[in-house]
Amino acid sequence: MTYQKIAESIPLEKREKLSDKLLNFVLKSKKESKMPSSLATSILDQWRLGPLTTEKGLAVLLKAAVLLESEKTIAFLEQELQLVSVAKAIEEMK
Amino acid sequence: MVKFGIEFVPREAHWKTIFYAIQAEKRGFDNLWITDHYNNRNVYVILAEAAFYTKKIVFGPGVTNPYLVNPVMTAQSMASLDELAPGRVVLGIGAGDKTTLAATGVEMRKPLTAVVETIEIFRRMIEGKTVSFEGKVFKAMGTKFNFKPRGQIPVYVGAQGPKMLKTAGKIGDGVLINASHPKDVDYAVGRIKLGVEEAEKKLTDVDITAYTSFSVHKKLEKATQAAVPVVAFIAAGSPNVILERHQIDVKKVDKIRGALRAGDFGGAFGSVSPEMVEAFSVSGTPDVCIEQINRLLKAGISQFVVGSPIGPNVRKSIDLVSKTVIPHFKK
Repeated sequence: MTYQKIAESIPLEKREKLSDKLLNFVLKSKKESKMPSSLATSILDQWRLGPLTTEKGLAVLLKAAVLLESEKTIAFLEQELQLVSVAKAIEEMK
Repeated sequence: MVKFGIEFVPREAHWKTIFYAIQAEKRGFDNLWITDHYNNRNVYVILAEAAFYTKKIVFGPGVTNPYLVNPVMTAQSMASLDELAPGRVVLGIGAGDKTTLAATGVEMRKPLTAVVETIEIFRRMIEGKTVSFEGKVFKAMGTKFNFKPRGQIPVYVGAQGPKMLKTAGKIGDGVLINASHPKDVDYAVGRIKLGVEEAEKKLTDVDITAYTSFSVHKKLEKATQAAVPVVAFIAAGSPNVILERHQIDVKKVDKIRGALRAGDFGGAFGSVSPEMVEAFSVSGTPDVCIEQINRLLKAGISQFVVGSPIGPNVRKSIDLVSKTVIPHFKK
């Protein structure tokens, strides 16, 4: 499984809320030193192109959020968005 | 029409600042200002990245100083940035702040002269000239670039005191004033006018830019709470003449100063009064901010800069400004 595949599996109606929350996790994280330069560049590249609610945008955001704020991200996917299978797939990738 | 700028302090990872810079451009801001302090990320590295990731926003250091970056190197950095983002760069230059300079062991010598000489050297270098200059603070001995700069870059002068404000009006294309209240803008514009008249220019030739401490949120209390820490530092750093202008009790500010010195941030922030928040920030709901910006416009500004803290959540506050505040002024 890849983050791109995971992003593709997220229902359209949940993408905006997910993107918003992941951005909060990533931008407010104090663990910014964990962010690889290549992933930061990917986020900025996608952000420059358009909103981060696209599959590519969500894929890079998910990857960053799991890296920086793993527990919060998994909990949000499971409890708030009821995306248990997505959370499970991410747990298996870690 | 008023321009909207936004200021970022690059104390966070570069990608966060650039994320917000891209967002600001998308949301209709005209100018992007990045502060320059030795203890944060390097301003020109951040600006180079901003050049790459943006297309139309005008940007520059806001402000750099001539003591830590020699005027020739400032000219080189700005000319190089102008190649990355042709016609989109502006220079913000001021004398710097004594405390930060003192920490680097650099003396703030003849600040007014230093800024004037820097601008002289900068403009001549940017025009591609060979510069021989013997000033009281800086010298250039036949200095010339091995490349052809693109040409004129607007210079904004960071000014606070009466002499610097007048000089800024005289020689600047813009003036950057740290002011969030009409009383401070009134004072500044009065001094800028003197310089403008001396140079036989019109006041509208100079982009009078208010660098504000800004905080917006749909709930007033949340906006104010976010502004309080910044206001504490501004109040503590304000000379008594400014405190008196706003009828703020000096003793109350002394209490904040003492708490900050002792590292008691809770005590310092807890001593910030509503009068201080009003004097030293533009903060509140969008409607409150619009009213405050209107007062600053009437006092004579032509660019309003949304500065730190921007709001309790920077990303959401940028969106809120773009949806509610900017459209009010750019109908």
